[in-house]
Amino acid sequence: MANRHNLLNGPEPAEFRQKLNIIIVVILAALTVLLARLWYLQVIKGDDLKQRSENNSIRFRNVMPLRGLIMDRNRHVVVDNRPSFDVLYMPGRGKYPDHLIEKLKVIYKRRSLELSYDQSLPRQMKPYLPVKLEKNVGMEKVAVVETNALDLPGIYIDVSPVRLYLDGETIAPIIGYTGEISKEELEKDEEEYASGDIVGKHGVEKFLDPYIRGSRGAELVEVNAYGKEIKNLGRIDPVSGYNIVLNIDADLQKTAWEAFENRPGAAVALDPRNGAVLTMVSSPSFDPNLFNSGFSREEWGKIANNPLNPLSNRAISGQYPPGSTYKMIVAAAALEEGIITPDTKFLCDGTYAFGNRTFRCWQKNGHGHISLHRAIVESCDVYFYNVGRLLGVDKIAHYAKLFGLGGVTGIDLPNEKSGLIPTKQWKLAKMKEPWQTGETISISIGQGFDLVTPLQLASAYSALSNGGILWQPQLVRSIETMDGKIHKEFLPAKKGELSLKKETIDLLGHALWGVVNEPTGTGKAARRPNADVCGKTGTSQVVGLPENERARREKKLGVLQRDHALFVCFAPLKDPEIAVAVIVENAGHGGSVAAPIARKILDAYFEGKKKIKQPEVVMLNPPAKSEHQ
Amino acid sequence: MIFFKFDRRIFQYFDWTLLALVLGICAIGIINIYSAVFSISDRQIPLYLKQIQWVLLGSIFMMMVFLVDYRVISEGAYVIYGISVALLVVVFLFGYTTHGSQRWIALGGFSFQPSELMKLTTILALSRYFDDHKSNEPYTLKELFLPFLIVIVPFLLILKQPDLGTALVIIIVFASIVFFIGVNWKSIAIVLAGGLMLMPIAWHFLKDYQKDRLIMFLNPDNDPLGAGYHIIQSMIAVGSGGLLGKGFLKGSQTQLKFLPEQQTDFVFSVFAEEWGFFGALVLIILFMSLILWGLKIALHSRDLLGTLIAFGITALISWEVFINIGMVLGILPVVGIPLPFLSYGGSAMIVLMTAIGLLMNVSVRRFILQR
Repeated sequence: MANRHNLLNGPEPAEFRQKLNIIIVVILAALTVLLARLWYLQVIKGDDLKQRSENNSIRFRNVMPLRGLIMDRNRHVVVDNRPSFDVLYMPGRGKYPDHLIEKLKVIYKRRSLELSYDQSLPRQMKPYLPVKLEKNVGMEKVAVVETNALDLPGIYIDVSPVRLYLDGETIAPIIGYTGEISKEELEKDEEEYASGDIVGKHGVEKFLDPYIRGSRGAELVEVNAYGKEIKNLGRIDPVSGYNIVLNIDADLQKTAWEAFENRPGAAVALDPRNGAVLTMVSSPSFDPNLFNSGFSREEWGKIANNPLNPLSNRAISGQYPPGSTYKMIVAAAALEEGIITPDTKFLCDGTYAFGNRTFRCWQKNGHGHISLHRAIVESCDVYFYNVGRLLGVDKIAHYAKLFGLGGVTGIDLPNEKSGLIPTKQWKLAKMKEPWQTGETISISIGQGFDLVTPLQLASAYSALSNGGILWQPQLVRSIETMDGKIHKEFLPAKKGELSLKKETIDLLGHALWGVVNEPTGTGKAARRPNADVCGKTGTSQVVGLPENERARREKKLGVLQRDHALFVCFAPLKDPEIAVAVIVENAGHGGSVAAPIARKILDAYFEGKKKIKQPEVVMLNPPAKSEHQ
Repeated sequence: MIFFKFDRRIFQYFDWTLLALVLGICAIGIINIYSAVFSISDRQIPLYLKQIQWVLLGSIFMMMVFLVDYRVISEGAYVIYGISVALLVVVFLFGYTTHGSQRWIALGGFSFQPSELMKLTTILALSRYFDDHKSNEPYTLKELFLPFLIVIVPFLLILKQPDLGTALVIIIVFASIVFFIGVNWKSIAIVLAGGLMLMPIAWHFLKDYQKDRLIMFLNPDNDPLGAGYHIIQSMIAVGSGGLLGKGFLKGSQTQLKFLPEQQTDFVFSVFAEEWGFFGALVLIILFMSLILWGLKIALHSRDLLGTLIAFGITALISWEVFINIGMVLGILPVVGIPLPFLSYGGSAMIVLMTAIGLLMNVSVRRFILQR
């Protein structure tokens, strides 16, 4: 750089040369720093870092959050978490992983244990993404794997939280269950969920998943060649989910569940004062704990392929003809429309002829001249054939819809069905056929196209009982933080008003009281001293409904041709506190099958009430103290 | 008219040293990429073959700009600059996004990264400007306003993509050129004070991940899982190479895919793991030679234009080399700057080879331009 040269013009080259000298010094300094750093990393710390790289020791690991607890209205914990011990295999550098599995089998065999992992390992394993060999193993296997760690490099025990459903099958179709997020679910929510997340698959677990699940944490750990953690390099703690407090009373729930004795059906109990769901049973049920215990494909098939579909929540997605429970609606419509007065009488001789068809009363010999009160108490069909025909299908539908039938109630659960209340327009649009008067006669006793869910029935009767307010049924009372602070509270929500005349409501109330409490009533089985139970029986025909797809399918099954037994009630007549709807599938008469179940629920409710005076007060105490029994 | 005549002296005085240095570094780069993606099998065309293709394509551009006198090229400096800015605007409007930033535009089957081109065309525009506005006195702040504008427009467009690394490089190269050409010290003081005051505002405009990386660099314990993961894995890879390295294709950190982006920004760690301290030393010495050679070309140029072009290009390469290696070694924050000639990338390679062509251009023409 010593040779001189001439710039054509511009600043003095000498000045540049001076600057360049500064720059070269800076560059050399930077070079020195880089080389010093390289020397430090590669030579001074080299052996140490080489060790770390050889063990391939740094692992990124997700830390799963605890899902929020689910509690009943008395803070009795219904769903908890427990640790699950899983056997994992961390693919390392080569070295015959299948060999390793064989070795594990041999070690297991010595203690007469068996490896449930029966596939061969996936052909292409990503290094350091563990493969789950066994889920939820017992302490024996944990001990065997831990003590033989030296012979099983790469195989280790991992602990993760899983759901513990304390009340098991009594409430499973309502609570739902959890599982690893599926591909479809992942695609639906790109941002919120990550692969491997545990999400709610059903019921409350699914509906409130965004609140319950919390957010995952992560950990960077250094492990030795055997997969043992030797150093924690950093951690982001997971955030637990919110706790859920239900309106459900777990004791009542248990009683109701047991009353079904595994017969298929559903029961719902509501508080007519605010729409709180006190009990919701769907039978048959399943054990949700099976989903976390690595159960076999066979066991899953047993649940998934059961024709009775235990996973579904019949209380909101089972749709049944309401049968005679629908007469209350028809009666309300007729009174309001002035079609009848309480004294209007019709003659029932056991049959009702229309065109070339004969409709029958359940009472073969007929009820004679009968007025509204007795027609409800004794559930006379012919009376309602007459009333229904005078009303016409659309008037009936109008009132049915006022009572919330034929539309979703808006309960805080997924997969609610709306049922079906037919109108002339509906039939024309759906079947391209005009409405037949004969069909009006069928629907006036809750048969034909009419379909309702047990929840809708309970809600409709609850609205009648409280003087006309249709509440939105609420399963969840509040969402709370881990330390019991309220994050979100669900106040009662009015869905609509019946706007019926007070006389109509009183009249119907007394008639329903008579169903249970008068000597000729069909619902005597639900009678309870000093409780003034009011109710209505129903027996809905499954056969004889050729337009009903479900009925046709079930006809083939023989046993399933039998009628559904229904009973809907509330109590007491004055200031009612509970409304109950019970449906038992293919069980026969509502009065003899469904009413006793309702009675058991009412018994449990009123007796439970004596024990705990005011559950609301208990609510305010810290959870630890307030757990009752 | 002399410029357009083919002059066989440009081959007589051809800068073989520069060519040898660059091709040598490129060769190391290709071998290294071969190893970096060796165990990634699911590609149709191996990356190293594609990189060879970029080097060859780049060499064609290199020869093209070499043949035309840089003073002629400089005539079009503002036009080329304008086109580059327009391309950045196109990226801003229509570019496609990968890894959360919008940097590419699709050209037929290829994707092109205009921000890479912008680095070189900014240097050309600045050289042209300072050549047009020669002064024997240090430049004042007022005189630096227009060149500042030349830089700030692409800077903001690139920052918006967001590509903090490239944006920073453009500013740093600008600062280097200004320092080199001479500036009033009072002006520098004002700029520094202003810059310090603007820092909180600038912070506001950074993306979350950019903030994370800066915070993490200032306090690595803060986030060992996110950005810290890169650095820890990178340092383990480099360190585990030891004095002599683990050998070609034997770097376990590399082959087991512990390193993220090991064929692009973190490619140096692959090299250091497999070739050790001595290998890294050789590579760094090659880079040093290239840088010093570039500075020599700048000093010996016959005119200010050539000096500035050569200096700007050399500054660009130096900064990228030092920042990238510093980042891989964990002494600088992870800002996403590629290592010249080693990181995989078509746009960067072609632009760099073109820049080398300009450097050769200046180098040769000092023997020819004797008025």
